[in-house]
Amino acid sequence: MIRTVNLTKIFRTDEVETTALNKVSFEIKKGEFVAIMGPSGCGKSTLLNILGLLDNPSEGEYYFLGNEVSRFSEKQRANSRKQNIGFVFQNFNLIDELNVYENVELPLIYLGMSSAERKKKVESALEQMQITHRRKHFPLQLSGGQQQRVAVARAVVANPHLILADEPTGNLDSAHGEEVMNLLASLNQGGTTIIMVTHSQRDAEYAQRIIRLFDGQIINENIKSGRSEIPVI
Amino acid sequence: MISNFLTTAVRSLLRQKYYALINLIGLSVGIAAFLLIVLYVQHETGFDKHLRKRDNLFRVVEIQNEPGVGEQHVAITMGPLAGALKADFPQVVNAVRFMPGFDIQVVSLGNKNFRERGLYYTDPSVIGMFNIEFLQGNPATALSTPMSVVLSEKTVEKYFGSTPNVLGKSMMLGKRSFVITGIMKDQPMQTHLFFDILVSISSVENQADFEWMKGWGSNSLITYIELDQSESRQIIEEKFPEFLRKNVFSKEEGWEFLEMYLQPLDEVYLESQHIKFQNVSAAGDINLVIVFIVIAVLILLVACVNFINISIARSVKRAREVGIRKVLGADRLSLVYQFISESLLLTLLAIFIAVGLVELALPEMNKLLATDFHIDFRGNWIFNAGLFLILIIISLAAGSYPAFYLSRFQPVKVLKGGSSIKGSSAGYLSKGLVVFQFMISVGLMFSVLVINDQVDYMKNKDLGIIYRDAIFVFFGDDDDAGKSEPLRNELLKDSRIRTVSGCSFLNGVSGSQGPVFVDDSARTKLTMRFGYVDYNFFEAMGVKFVAGRNFDRKIASDKGGSVIINQAAARKLGWDNPLGMKFKTVMGADTTVKPEVIGVINDYHYFSMRSLIEPAIYVWNPEMFRGLLIGYYAESDKQSVRKYIEDKWIDHFPDTPFQPVVADDFAAESYKNDQKLFSLFVYFTTISVLLSVLGLFGLTSLLIEQKTRIIGIRRVLGGPVWKITSQLIHDYMLLVLIAGAIALPLTYYFLEQQLRQFAYRIDINAFHMISAVVILTLIAFFTIIFKAYRAAGANPVKALKYE
Repeated sequence: MIRTVNLTKIFRTDEVETTALNKVSFEIKKGEFVAIMGPSGCGKSTLLNILGLLDNPSEGEYYFLGNEVSRFSEKQRANSRKQNIGFVFQNFNLIDELNVYENVELPLIYLGMSSAERKKKVESALEQMQITHRRKHFPLQLSGGQQQRVAVARAVVANPHLILADEPTGNLDSAHGEEVMNLLASLNQGGTTIIMVTHSQRDAEYAQRIIRLFDGQIINENIKSGRSEIPVI
Repeated sequence: MISNFLTTAVRSLLRQKYYALINLIGLSVGIAAFLLIVLYVQHETGFDKHLRKRDNLFRVVEIQNEPGVGEQHVAITMGPLAGALKADFPQVVNAVRFMPGFDIQVVSLGNKNFRERGLYYTDPSVIGMFNIEFLQGNPATALSTPMSVVLSEKTVEKYFGSTPNVLGKSMMLGKRSFVITGIMKDQPMQTHLFFDILVSISSVENQADFEWMKGWGSNSLITYIELDQSESRQIIEEKFPEFLRKNVFSKEEGWEFLEMYLQPLDEVYLESQHIKFQNVSAAGDINLVIVFIVIAVLILLVACVNFINISIARSVKRAREVGIRKVLGADRLSLVYQFISESLLLTLLAIFIAVGLVELALPEMNKLLATDFHIDFRGNWIFNAGLFLILIIISLAAGSYPAFYLSRFQPVKVLKGGSSIKGSSAGYLSKGLVVFQFMISVGLMFSVLVINDQVDYMKNKDLGIIYRDAIFVFFGDDDDAGKSEPLRNELLKDSRIRTVSGCSFLNGVSGSQGPVFVDDSARTKLTMRFGYVDYNFFEAMGVKFVAGRNFDRKIASDKGGSVIINQAAARKLGWDNPLGMKFKTVMGADTTVKPEVIGVINDYHYFSMRSLIEPAIYVWNPEMFRGLLIGYYAESDKQSVRKYIEDKWIDHFPDTPFQPVVADDFAAESYKNDQKLFSLFVYFTTISVLLSVLGLFGLTSLLIEQKTRIIGIRRVLGGPVWKITSQLIHDYMLLVLIAGAIALPLTYYFLEQQLRQFAYRIDINAFHMISAVVILTLIAFFTIIFKAYRAAGANPVKALKYE
């Protein structure tokens, strides 16, 4: 489903040139749950943004669903993104002016779905996340855990092939964090590919595989089943 | 999708009520001011539109260049001109003459007596050319025979009430009886030449008093011609020199310089500032219309700039939303749609409020301008189309930059840490717009200061004549002057009356101007204004003598045989010592002697300060008096003394309506129009400056809000807050100065052009310019201090949690 070859990202400002990703290559198969770990500033989020088609790499190749997408235009990326990828963020990133229902509905609107179809899908996503009773509430009226459930509902509502989660439990207490992780795990069991950036070893336990980054490079790719341990330096 | 946009728009506006309100107030006030000006401009440009043939109608204008007054354009022409034009040029389909009924002081029916202003002698062709609609009578013949009069509906009602069938009835115009031959529909007031009584010109053409009407020497009539097509104008104008040679110069002596041209009727109302002796009922000024259009556009621009600036500043807060929408698959176009639909919504709301504000402001404006403006959605499609256009233009102008700017955000970046507008291209744009706004404000402020001084100057300048505590009442007919002695004596018996004096008018001069020949071998000629005044007129009106003496009752020859001139006349004639100089003849003076100059009076303003004081010559000839000037002591109760005068007047002249001209009002009248428009100008300028301040207030609030964190950190660390404030102040002062540097020279140029219209004017000085900049600087300064003070006073912990 995902294959990267020598993915490199360099940020330039007037004075400094920072290599956020340095020739990163790996592969993720359909249905996998992969955690990306590493210290702050190691390039986790940069990698996630590129994988999520929010940003283009400076160099290297990125195959997503069989297409080389590293040189896609903004419009092409937006198109592919809205059809295939759902996002969950650490700080939820819900739109404050829209209520729960409307937030979850948003991706479907951009997909151009009819209102009846949207209603069906939103209801089902809300149900799945057990947040139906809060449908008329605004984000600021919800607890962090509830907000993240809404965010997950929004990420899955369009049935994406891939969900990208950026520290999904970072702003939650442990109980709510676990709740969200269980949701993600159950989604994965349903067949959705999940890539999650996290600091938390506990959260990483939910994944089948952990990719460890340090200074923009993969230092360790660990398949938890213990079958193999492939250093990729 | 639209409903989602609108939901977001409405809720986001509600969430940021403060800025939404600033935007909304700014826009609605801006649009309201714009609409008010549009109504004014529509009114001014809507004159004479009822004349269906106006595209082919022209007024004949003469250019005279006579010694004394210099080159002047006049709209009065000779009696035979209309006929000659029609005879000589096949392109002239029709021609008509208008002459105000100078000789008709009073129109009466039974015991109803009125002075009529809309009374004109005219040719029968007027009916076709001015598409006059008849309610009764035969348009083809109504004005063909002498002693015929056509009345408007209103006039019929005024004299006859509800009496049916007034056709064929007679009424008195002056001393003669006329037969009503037609009733016409009332003319609209929005015309440069309003008339409600038309008299056949043949009624006077053959009278001895009007002998001059047959010659080419005297100008008294307005001539309009109708051409086969408007393009013929050029052909005719090219042939005018030849036409004048043949018809005027060959027959009439005395003309040294005369040219003619055709003025399109459409231009008469607005573009006749340079034309004298127009005898029109209303005159506008294209210059003012342009000035107001410019102000309207500037106000709208200021409002738009506010909108854009606040939207850009707010974009920091909206950036996150844009980022999320982008992540969820929104493309740029849909974001642009979203923001434009937001500004569309806001503008639509603003337009509704603006229309309400206009309704509120209209009564005041109508009172000020003595107009009857109203919003007419059904009948005024231009206005409706204009509103729609405003909606589209403002929505796009105000919404597009934020739309394109925001939609360009990289979702990754904005979701990470927001974006600050500082240093980015939007930051420069924002500053540029603030400079632009200040430019408008500085420019308008500068204009207000200068125009205010000019109006003050005109109000306070020594006119050389005192228009105070006196009234002037017109006689009913020429004989009244001779019969006024008993009234005069009786009035003077009352201790409150200080003087009674016969004269042409309150200002001492008549409406006539003409050549006067000096009694010398060189046949020196000077065009002068004629004035007919009593021996005590100058004294009564406080006009001072610079040489010689006044008319003296004890010297019999003074009556008609002596003249007094003003300084301008002496100057033009090159007389260092005018006393004793003689003229060959002077209109209205004794024809058997050569009138001699016995005195020179100080140049006083007999017209408004827009025009130069022209040479004038005064004769003491009671036969030429048009009314009485009655002065009373300042201490006396004005109401009761005027009532007393009225009672006495009615006793002596029961058939002459008592319609006094009050001196104080007359003086005010001369600058009233300037003052009126100046008030309007001040109102709109104030609005524009307030809008700028409002925008600055909003923008500063947002900028300081963005700096809340810095202010918080500084306070936690115990550092001074003023540094942030002083930086902001420093930045803005610089912007005001830049704005001043650009706006002042431009405005200076514009104001010089405007002041040039005034013959007597102030000079623009540095004080005006510095004040404008200082005022604006202070406003900006206090706005920032106020906001910064509040921000600095906030709890730093809250400030730090903010991001």
